[in-house]
Amino acid sequence: MTDAHAEQDWRAWFAEHGARLRLIARQWTRSDADADDVLQEAFVRFWKHQRHLPGDPNALVVTSIRRAALDLHRRSDRRALREQSVAADAEVFAAFEPEADPRLQALARSLPSLPAEQREVVVLKVWGDLTFEQIGEQLAISPNTAASRWRYAMEALRRLVTARTYE
Amino acid sequence: MNNEHSDLESALRALRPRAPGPAVVAGLARELDAPAASPGRGRVIAWFSAAAAAAACLLGFLFFRQADEALAPAYQLVRAEQPPAAVDVFAPLRLDDGSFVRPVRVRWSNETHWEDRRTNTKLINYSPSEQFGFIPLETY
Repeated sequence: MTDAHAEQDWRAWFAEHGARLRLIARQWTRSDADADDVLQEAFVRFWKHQRHLPGDPNALVVTSIRRAALDLHRRSDRRALREQSVAADAEVFAAFEPEADPRLQALARSLPSLPAEQREVVVLKVWGDLTFEQIGEQLAISPNTAASRWRYAMEALRRLVTARTYE
Repeated sequence: MNNEHSDLESALRALRPRAPGPAVVAGLARELDAPAASPGRGRVIAWFSAAAAAAACLLGFLFFRQADEALAPAYQLVRAEQPPAAVDVFAPLRLDDGSFVRPVRVRWSNETHWEDRRTNTKLINYSPSEQFGFIPLETY
C-alpha cells in the first residue's frame, strides 16, 4: 500500500484505495448512499487528522470508517450496530466490477450468501488488508475467533462456488 | 490454516470493488482542497487576527492605566489623637535584695485619621501600646 504518511496528494491515495474502502464502508451501512457518506466523512477525518499518526495507516482508515458508520447509526437512531452493520443485505457485494471468469462471477454472487459475521471478516481481511489480530481489534473479538470465522467462510464459499460454477 | 484456502483468497483478491462515484470525490475535494486553494485568504485572516489582538491589548492597557490612575488613593492626614494614658499602680513588692518597688503599668494609644475626599473613604490607624515598670521605694 502507498504510504499515507508520506503521501501528500489525497487524490492519488484515494484513487488507489477508494474502491476497497467504499466496500468496507458498505459492509457497515445499509445503503450505497450511506456508504458514500461514511466513506467521505471517514476519509476526511483520516486525511486531516490521523494519517500522520504512528501505526498502520490502513488500520487507521478502517477504524475511521467504522467510527463514522457508528456515528451515522447513532444519528439515524437505528437499532444496535451489530444488527445493522452486518445485516444480510444481498446488494452489498453487487458493487464489484463485472468479471469474465465464471469462477469469479460465482464467487462474487456467493459472498452475499455468507453469514454476516463471516462476510465481515472476509471483507476486512481481503479488502481491508488487516491481520486477524487487527480484525479482532476492530470487531472486539479475539484473533482466534476472527480466524475461525475466516475458515468457516472459506469452506462455505468453496461449496457455494463449486455448486454455482456447475449450475 | 490459511494456506489451504490460499487459492480462494487469491480469487477473492482478484474481484474488483467498484470505485466510489464522482460525487464522493467532489465532496472530498470540497473538504480537502479548500485550505490549499485559498492560501491568501488564510493569510488575510491571520493578519486580521493578529491586528485585532494587538488592538485589544492596546485598548486593555489604556483602560487599565486610566482605571489605575482613577483608583489610586490620595489620603490626607485629617486628625491625630493620643488620649491620656491610663496608669495602674500596684501594691509594693519586695525584691530579692530586700529593696521595695511599686509595679506600674502605663497604657496609651495613638490614633491617626486619613481621608480621601475624592472617594470619600477614610483610613484610621489605631496602635495601642502598653509598658510595665517598677518605681523604687525608699524605706526608713
